[in-house]
Amino acid sequence: MLLPLALNVLALGASYALVALGFVLILNATGAVNFAQGDLVMIGGFVTVVLASYLPVPAIVLLPILLAAMAALGVLIALAAYFPLRNRPPEAVFISTIAVGIILQNAATVLFGPEPKAAPPLLGVGEFDFGGMFVSRQSLAVIAVATLLIGSLYTLFAHTQFGRRLRAVAQDREVAAAIGIPVDAMIAGTFAVGTALAGAAGLLLANTFFVTPTEGANYILKAYIAIVIGGWGSIPGAVAGALLIALFEVLYPSMPVLLPAVGTGSGLFSQNTSTIVLDVVILLTLVVRPQGLFGEAIRQRP
Amino acid sequence: MIRRAAILALLAAAPTVVRAAEANIPVLVPITGFLATEGTSQRNGALLALRNPPAGVTAKYDVTDTGTSPEVAVNALERAVSDGNVTAVVASMLGTQMLAMLPVALENRVPLTTMSGTAEITQKGNPYVFRFFPADSVVKGAQVRYAIDTHHIQKPAVIYQTTAYGQSGHAEIDKVLAANGIKPVYEDALDVSVKDMQPALAKAKEAGADSLLLQLHGGPTALLLKAAAAMNLRLPIVAGSGLSQASTVALLESAELKGVCGETGSSPISAETPGMAKFLDDYRAAFKSDPDGFAVGQYDATMMVLTAVKDGAMTAADVTKALATTRYPGLAMTYKSDGKGNMAHSAVIICFDGTSRTPNVVKHYEFPAE
Repeated sequence: MLLPLALNVLALGASYALVALGFVLILNATGAVNFAQGDLVMIGGFVTVVLASYLPVPAIVLLPILLAAMAALGVLIALAAYFPLRNRPPEAVFISTIAVGIILQNAATVLFGPEPKAAPPLLGVGEFDFGGMFVSRQSLAVIAVATLLIGSLYTLFAHTQFGRRLRAVAQDREVAAAIGIPVDAMIAGTFAVGTALAGAAGLLLANTFFVTPTEGANYILKAYIAIVIGGWGSIPGAVAGALLIALFEVLYPSMPVLLPAVGTGSGLFSQNTSTIVLDVVILLTLVVRPQGLFGEAIRQRP
Repeated sequence: MIRRAAILALLAAAPTVVRAAEANIPVLVPITGFLATEGTSQRNGALLALRNPPAGVTAKYDVTDTGTSPEVAVNALERAVSDGNVTAVVASMLGTQMLAMLPVALENRVPLTTMSGTAEITQKGNPYVFRFFPADSVVKGAQVRYAIDTHHIQKPAVIYQTTAYGQSGHAEIDKVLAANGIKPVYEDALDVSVKDMQPALAKAKEAGADSLLLQLHGGPTALLLKAAAAMNLRLPIVAGSGLSQASTVALLESAELKGVCGETGSSPISAETPGMAKFLDDYRAAFKSDPDGFAVGQYDATMMVLTAVKDGAMTAADVTKALATTRYPGLAMTYKSDGKGNMAHSAVIICFDGTSRTPNVVKHYEFPAE
């Protein structure tokens, strides 16, 4: 039973990591917290459902189209909710991204209705049999695709001119502008990448966990927690924080299975208590290591 | 005198104009939030009846979304009854909202028709509540009896929601199991926000469960069945009424539904009778989706109110009396109050064969009102 649960942790954690990474990229490039990130995950799920209704193919085929559409949406959000307000107090951008989230949520309710919808699986339904241990094909596919996307992101930032410019803008916008980097274009590009990552997470999650218009708040909360635990602004920290959340969500309530001595009748290891324990861990992290697990730079946390 | 006689003669000669009786029936149901799937079905069933009332009756109605908060539901009911001209109310199927709405109905003497399965709403002695979905004692009785009769269960796991619906159904399941000398080997209460069902299923399997009895809302039912299929659990599953909803089934592949059964008041999509087949066609034409037991139940409830109006019930008090005393042959079943407002006393078991998303009705259960 450990293998399927461990794969589930990785699948869920990798999906959450995409959300958190998009959040961190925009945070680092602009200093602004994008509170619409969770709703962008939801939009990614619904866009996948719509695409699948026109192109009944496995979701993996739809992924490039989705990434392009979400990147375009990210640029639109930057133009509408960031650039007009970037010289105002930081609270103005927080509020504008909250407004974007509310608009997206209500637009989804109007367009798709309040009921949950399911996106197609990445490759197909079913499971692999590893000597009597069954592993979901979807979980394996989610891990593979999320790993590929995170790896591509690393390559983009570490080994391309575009990525180096993005990092330069994230480190110091004024110096970047002084040496001729088009800061506005780079910021728009960051919104595009961050939004595309959120959309990809929506595609990966919307088959197993479905998609509803109101679930964006749940994802932004998880992204925020992941970043607080991992370290505010830290990219490896965002990934580690996301995996830690998934670990608590999946493995903590499964402890009676992993350690039979605990006994399945114990209410100590339930889904509800896992949330309590996770929140206690966050509080302890803030007290003992306020910069988070991977935090290094001192930043102002809004 | 001559002039008055002429007017009277003219009035007598004029063609008789029959004025349609008017029914004012607000629809206050949850169409957003975790009960959106069920609430939308309830709304659609009510609307189909209100748009097609019996001859001689016109229906006036407004739809209000009660969300998932009791306060919103109470405010909606208070607003709806504030003009003092309400015939009856289509009231939320969410148990916690119904419990909050009951005092308002009592104070304003307005009958509430609902599809809530929460047992407590008809146990408070309130004469203005009429439940057209079989009470938990009926559907849970059918669910457990089917599991025992068909799968010979001895060590079930019971997984239920932490909401009033989940807890009420869980209590009834345990009661029926105990009456049959069976004790669950594993029980778990899940919040509606829980999305990953694998831990609960893994623990049920670890506890040695020989079957799963579910009391979950529609979305969580689909999440659990998807997880069970991914884990290749291979345990008999008898679900609650959440499984009977077309929108729940639409979230799953046919293969993921193979062998899964569930209880419900009725299964309109199975079109067992000509009346039900017509309802299915009308519903699909009106809402471009498939109806479930909640839709047909609320259709029957609303049609019973409209029929009472047609038969001369002009006020909320008249309608309350008609609902409390009349036997009404609806599409899903014949309704009759048991004196507490429980109108529905039949349940069916539906099962999926894994080749389509249309269930088959495999068993009918009758629990006559005492």
